[in-house]
Order: sequence, then C-alpha cells, then structure tokens
Amino acid sequence: MKRALTFAALLCWLLRPSTAQAEPLQRLTVTSFTLSADTTKPEQEVPFHLIVALHVRENVPQIDNITLPVMVDVEVLGDERTTQAGPGGTDYRETIAVVAHHSGKIALAPAGLQAIDARDGKAKQYFTNSLALDVAGVSLSGPAAESNPLLDQLGGLVRGLALWAVSVGALIVLVVLLLRRRPAVLAAPAVAVAAPVPVAAPPAARVRSRRDQFGDALTVLQADRNRPTAVRVRGVVWGLIGASDGATLADVLRTPAAGEPRMADVLRALERAAFTYDADLGAAIDGACAALERYLA
Amino acid sequence: MTQPKDLMDALSETIVGQHDVVEALLLALLSNGHVLLEGPPGLAKTLACRSLAVALDGEFKRIQFTPDLLPSDIVGTRVFDQRETAFATILGPIFANVVLADEINRAPAKVQSALLEAMQERQVTIGPQTHRLPDPFVVMATMNPLDSEGTYALPVAQMDRFLMKVNVGYPSREQELAILDRFAVADTQPRRAVATLDDVRAWRERAHAVHIDEKLKRYIVELVAITREAEHVKIPAERGAQLPASDFIDYGASPRATLAIAYLSRARAYLDGRDFALPDDVRAVAPHALRHRIGFNYRLTTEGVGADRLIEALVAAVPAP
Repeated sequence: MKRALTFAALLCWLLRPSTAQAEPLQRLTVTSFTLSADTTKPEQEVPFHLIVALHVRENVPQIDNITLPVMVDVEVLGDERTTQAGPGGTDYRETIAVVAHHSGKIALAPAGLQAIDARDGKAKQYFTNSLALDVAGVSLSGPAAESNPLLDQLGGLVRGLALWAVSVGALIVLVVLLLRRRPAVLAAPAVAVAAPVPVAAPPAARVRSRRDQFGDALTVLQADRNRPTAVRVRGVVWGLIGASDGATLADVLRTPAAGEPRMADVLRALERAAFTYDADLGAAIDGACAALERYLA
Repeated sequence: MTQPKDLMDALSETIVGQHDVVEALLLALLSNGHVLLEGPPGLAKTLACRSLAVALDGEFKRIQFTPDLLPSDIVGTRVFDQRETAFATILGPIFANVVLADEINRAPAKVQSALLEAMQERQVTIGPQTHRLPDPFVVMATMNPLDSEGTYALPVAQMDRFLMKVNVGYPSREQELAILDRFAVADTQPRRAVATLDDVRAWRERAHAVHIDEKLKRYIVELVAITREAEHVKIPAERGAQLPASDFIDYGASPRATLAIAYLSRARAYLDGRDFALPDDVRAVAPHALRHRIGFNYRLTTEGVGADRLIEALVAAVPAP
C-alpha cells in the first residue's frame, strides 16, 4: 500500500497538468514558502495535517505550478487549498490530511514552486523546508486493556474495521484526487479538516536537487512504461535542464547542461521513447531507463 | 549493403563545402523527388550531380536550357529511317538516372512544361509509344538569381512539382582554401562508384517505411498552416518596424508541401540511421519544402526582409512537440 501510494504521489507529480510547458509561469515576489505540521508529535493511525503556506506580494487570483511534497511515509487522505488576495499580497494555504501507519521518524520532502521572480525577471524554482516528525506508536496499555480479554478482542475487531474503513475511504479519496488533480479551489474538501495549528517550520530548507528529480523520473518511467509517461518524463527532464518550450533536441543538446555526455544520452534516449514506433517503444523505454541509471550512477 | 551515409561521405570527398547540396541530392533520391537549386554559377552544382551519378554507377545527363530549346530536344523524337522505311524513336537526354537541367528558367514555357511533366509522370510519350524513365530518376534543376534578363519565370504550379528548393551560397574562406588545395593540382572528376541503383531502390523503400509519430504529423500540418495564417508572426523590417508576416505573403503553401515535409523528414531520419523521425528532421527540411511554395510579394524585397528570414521566423513560431 505504501509503495503504491509513493508511486501514486510520484506519478501525480510527473503526470500533473503540464504546468511548466503549457502555462506561462506567474511573475511573483515570494516572501515566504513553508511546510509545517499541525502537531509536533503525530500518532500512528491518527490523522494529522501538513500545511503548505505561501505568501507573495502580488495580488493574484490563484497560484499555479506548486508541486506537493512526495509523501513516502504517510498516506494522503485529502487536501484543501485556499487563496486569499488582499492589499498586502496573496496568501496561499494548502492543508493536506495525512495518516502515518508506522511509528518512528518520518521525513517529508519539500514542496516546490516554479515562478518568475518579479524582482529580476528570471524563472526560478522555490522550495519549502523539509519536515522531520517522530510518530508515536499506538499505546496498548491502560486499565481497560488489562481488565477484560473479551473487550480487548472486541476492541481489536473494532479497530481493525475502523482501519479498513479509513483505508477504503482514503483510497476512494485518492482516486478522486488523481482524476481531478488540483482544481483551483475544492468546493467540498474530501476530508473535513479542523483549523490546524501549525508548528514552527525548521529553519534549514532542504533544496531538492536535480538529481533527486531525475531519480523520481526514473522511478515513474520504470513503473509506468507507456508513451504518454515517456513524453511527460521527457518534458520534465527538459524542464530540469532549462530547455525552453517548443525547442527541439538539437536546441537542447546545445545547452550547457546537455554538455555532459551521459546527460546527452538521456536526452537522446527519451527523444527516441517519445517518437519511435510502437513496436520499438519497449526497447526505447529500456534504453531511456538505462541512460537515466547511468546518469544517476 | 552500402548505407546512404557512405554515399554522402563519398560525395563529400569530391565536393567541398556544399553540404546542403549533397544532402539535398540524397534526400531527393531517398524521397523519389526532384531538386531545384538557386545560386550563382561556379558553385559545384554540376560536379555534385555528376559525382552522384558516378557514385551510384548510374547514367548522368546535362541539359543546358536556352531560349531556342524544343521539347523534343529533352524528351526525344521520332525520325524516319529510310533504309527500314519506318519511324525510329531517338530517346532524349532525360533518359538518365541523374539529370541536370541547367538554368531551367532560360527555356520557354512549353519546354519547361515538357520536362516537368516527365518529372511528374516518370514516363514520356513520343508519338504512339510511351517510354518509362529509368529508376531511380532524379532531376536537379538550377536557376541563376543574378542574371534574370531574358528568362522565363517558372509558373507556381510547375515549381510545386519540385520536392525541394535549396539556396546555394558561396563557400567560406576555409572551404575555398580547401577547394584550391584539392582542385588546383588535381582533376575534378568524381571518384568511384560506392553503391548500386538496386541499393538506392532498397534505401527508398526503407526510407518510406520510417515512422512519423502523430505529434510530428500535427507539427508538420501546423508548419504549413502558419504560412497561410501568418498575421500573428512579427517580422523585423526596415527602420525598426515589426510587420506581420502575412504582409509579405500573397498565398501560403499547398498540401503538397505537407507531403513534401513528411517525405523529406523520413529521408533525413533514414540518412541519419534512424527508423523514426524527430522534430529536428521536420524543422531541418521544412524551409526546403516551403521556400518555393509560398507566394511572396514585392514587399519582401522593398522592406529588406528576404524569403529565408521570413521562413525562419514562421518555422520558429510553431513550437516543436
């Protein structure tokens, strides 16, 4: 289940509507961009909330091109986002309801934003801080647990049923989210979220490296071996090395980032996967995965 | 089997600095089309043609177009044989694998028409008999842009029959030095045969089978469509003005341009050793297929824009997939 969710989250990121390519980037002055949680001590199987908060100086009706963190250690139950524009700028807040199924330390990767910096007119990628949380295990000790073994069994059954119901509900919510990815504002949130009390975000922001994102691209291409994914991964890789919209492979190969032979191999292999005939697609995707692995090695 | 790349290498041994001409000849050969070359005299056009024929072990013929040329001088004629008391057919110089039609715009319309009809039909009718032209058959026609007095401009419909038009420019200083080194002391005759006519027929079949993805097909259609709807493409003209590209165009390219771009893209991909075409192939060949199929008006000259710059802007305005 966790693996499936991880993959779904990665797929979500890579197969999201082609924001970087289809939509022009927004011109924004980012003053703060944070990732936080509404509790410092989440508990296993108890939903809690992650909050992505962004403040920009401009007055904009919506914020595009936000990439959610890749959720590896928690299950996403739903999310809600609000955008409030006022005289001081625009506040964007995305509240993601999650649940951890295992106790122990969990790490959440940063959320990202692509925008043109209004101060210097350059396209930039912003990242929030990453987040490390310690999930407490489910406590089995207590007077009730000690008093009656029958009640114990009954309680376990009820917990099991509740867990099953939550999992099924979460799956349905996730499918709905995947099908209707990122509307401007959800009319009815998938999961009712109480007003969260954010904890202070850790000061050190972890920048998600280009290499990490190439790794994500490889994971998705290995798992979802078809033409649309190959085309999307090609677009993501081109975006990562700063290729402009509407360029051709020859243009991209002339950029400094493509000067490295292993990167040039990746670009050529992905081009083949995007344009070759159907019978060759499997081999082309193998070639692209191998080239990405060589690049990451 | 010899590959087209080997043929290209062999031609490059003889011809210095005319990569576009050599590539155009090979693309036309692989696409089963014909080439129109425009450029000043002395740029190795004849040498390129003759070298191609020699490299293929094929037959080469050169026809110098003049105002007094007759259609029968090209396609052939029937003469009465008094000894046999019957008409005999003398086939014209068009019956060759590689034909150089030198200064095609110097002959009157009916002669041009005879040549272009033969190019299209790949057969010639002389008297009651129809004769198939050899296969492969590629015509390279030249036009001289410098000396236009006493010429007969090719009608648009006739120009459309050429698969591609290539502008031939002067070589660079380094290339000219190489020409001096290579040809000042040696014979300019082409080298040996590196492929056979059967090889060419096999290459052509493979080039025809090269895959073009749906995304690329849409890209090709958009490239041709923008020549007809070029209002939003701005072209820098004289005195810093930005004029819409449509101001310079009377009519856009025909659907034959769409087909030509697809054929040439396949051929270029095959020449590069691939069995699928890429956006780079389309973008590289598009100017060759569009150049002679767009009706430019006088403003192109008066505003100092130039056909190639306009086409470059049109191609750049369509994002590659």
